[in-house]
Amino acid sequence: MSELLKAMGEHLWIVASSMVAATIIGVALGVLSYWRKKLGVFIIALAEIVQTIPSLALLALLMIVFGLGDLTLAIALILYALLPIIRNTHTALNELPPHIIDAARGMGMSRAQRLTKVEIPLSIPMIFSGIKVALVNSLSIAVMGVLIGSGGLGYIIYRGIQQRNMGRILIGAIPVILIALFFDWAMTKVQVRLSKHTNGV
Amino acid sequence: MFSTVKKIISISLIGLVAVAFMASCSAGGTITVASKDFSENILLGELMAQLIEAKTDLKVNRKLNLGGTFVNFNAIQNGQIDVYPEYTGTSLTAQLNMEVINDPAESYRVVSEEMLKRWDIVWLDPFGFNNTYTLAVTAEVQEKYNLKTYSDLIPIADQLVFGAEHEFFDRQDGFDGLVAHYGLQFKGEPMKLNTSLKYQAIGKGDMDITDAFSTDGPIKQYDLRILEDDKSFFPPYHAAPVVRKAVLDQHPEVGQALNLLAGKINDETMTELNYLVDVKGESVEEVAKAFLASLNLI
Amino acid sequence: MKLITLFTKNGAGLLESLGVHIMLVILSVLAGIVIALPLGIYLTRHRRAANVVLAIAGTVQTIPGLVMLGFALVLLGIGTLPALVVLSIYSILPILRNTYTGITEVLPAYTDAAKGIGMTKSQVLFKVELPLAMPAIVSGIRISAVYIVSWATLAGMIGAGGLGDWIWTGLATYNTDYILLGAIPSAILAFVFSAVIGAVEKAMTPRGLRRRS
Repeated sequence: MSELLKAMGEHLWIVASSMVAATIIGVALGVLSYWRKKLGVFIIALAEIVQTIPSLALLALLMIVFGLGDLTLAIALILYALLPIIRNTHTALNELPPHIIDAARGMGMSRAQRLTKVEIPLSIPMIFSGIKVALVNSLSIAVMGVLIGSGGLGYIIYRGIQQRNMGRILIGAIPVILIALFFDWAMTKVQVRLSKHTNGV
Repeated sequence: MFSTVKKIISISLIGLVAVAFMASCSAGGTITVASKDFSENILLGELMAQLIEAKTDLKVNRKLNLGGTFVNFNAIQNGQIDVYPEYTGTSLTAQLNMEVINDPAESYRVVSEEMLKRWDIVWLDPFGFNNTYTLAVTAEVQEKYNLKTYSDLIPIADQLVFGAEHEFFDRQDGFDGLVAHYGLQFKGEPMKLNTSLKYQAIGKGDMDITDAFSTDGPIKQYDLRILEDDKSFFPPYHAAPVVRKAVLDQHPEVGQALNLLAGKINDETMTELNYLVDVKGESVEEVAKAFLASLNLI
Repeated sequence: MKLITLFTKNGAGLLESLGVHIMLVILSVLAGIVIALPLGIYLTRHRRAANVVLAIAGTVQTIPGLVMLGFALVLLGIGTLPALVVLSIYSILPILRNTYTGITEVLPAYTDAAKGIGMTKSQVLFKVELPLAMPAIVSGIRISAVYIVSWATLAGMIGAGGLGDWIWTGLATYNTDYILLGAIPSAILAFVFSAVIGAVEKAMTPRGLRRRS
């Protein structure tokens, strides 16, 4: 049991820290692609390319460069989390009603002020949705970390596969699935609440 | 009012993080114990980890089931891991690229010298058992062709599908050496699988013959029959901890702790422990703990 | 360049693995279409069941690939066939979901008009709903294909054949050459499938209905 809790802790820790990093980088890139349209097309295309790469292939390639261990897994998770977050940030910012932006300009806000006081706050529900998608995916991808020297629930699952032990596979797999479903449900609820907040616009 | 609340929360969070950080840095430092990706090696790794935890101040970072021989060897060479269980025969051929040596004492002497000389890696005292490569077939195959030795395979090898873990095909003491030494020609292309999957494959009849490790649990589990290496191809594989010299110099207590296991595990004992993990399904941690307790080491 | 010589030296084996990989993708996506398309249509006629079925399919998709392969291994064994079974199951959801949304998002105006001019139910389906939903359905097939290229590399663990075998051998023996030989072509393959099916998708979308997938 303690083995399971330790594995869950490791698993959640890597996913959580990767998601924080991915959110910071992803939102920043999303904003960048909103401010500079042409660069934005390039950024999003790049993120789409990364998404298309088969996850085992990306993980193995990263291992060649960064070696075995948690860092490599974290980098892979961050890369895969970027597209949903960048795209949702970009879309949300682009779809803001023009009259809001005009009003903010009219009040004399600088671009940075407009961003932090108006544009981002209004975009939060959609950005949050992107983070949700990225998070649920990351929980699943992180299982493969065991193949490149990382731990987490993947370790238990892999041991189960090696020993042909269905029980062990399930002991590792069920927490992953339950946690993913939980976050999907919980974050959707939060997102709905956030939407209501910003719908007064 | 809210800003004071915010201040209190942020300070306590920072405080918590700091405490957690300090707690994780133990007084004596950390040592990374790794292992290969099959049960016996994972067990040995766990035994070593628990022993170090019990007998020293060090904290152990476990990286068990890390991968095959080459993965572990590469990792210890570049300092990513500090110690893992290795076998003399394997070291001699797969890592040092030297000719097979059949005398166990000589084999141990050579690998100790060379590993230290070339890479500053130290061989501690052997655990006391020989886990050699051997060839295993299913009961049906053995009875059908009346097989006793490897040489018995020569006339009928082209009817058998051979399968082994990936690294068996990358080593001098592996597939290529074996078929050359005996003049064997197996059916079609050999199957390459992950180490632990080969017993399932042979058990299900997906392949007929595999390289087994002589102390493996699944041999009994799948009722496999071991053949005799009549032309002595495979060298002895005595297991011992290998550790980075830098780590040993800094923490000689590691060597003292691990040498407590010297000679304490013979062939039968290792086979029995493997059996408990692989066939009885007991957890590696429990089996390791029970064994160390039986030796009054923890 | 060292990379090029690496690929030319292993060309024959690699081409064979590529062939197996492509076959795995095509067969499992086809299996997915065969199951998901009729099921999706059925669900548009039975909306209450739809929520349940889509939820179940969605849950199956959260199961990590390694786990599904583990199930396949324990229940079916190693080899190409167990891999095909798992991959086919995985290919169902994207196609199912897009078939369902594709059809349900067809504006009632169109189906009403069709009924109004006297089309039977199946005529409405085949002449109005499916054609209008086709871009979404093809999009689902594209998503499915890209997923399967990825899962098929994982299937190398159970000896499925395909480019994944090279990656697995590379990981097991710490051989970066093998990893490159397996990883690079599989990434390219994913792009190719995405681009080709994406082009079909664009061609099928009437200009007025071009939507972002």
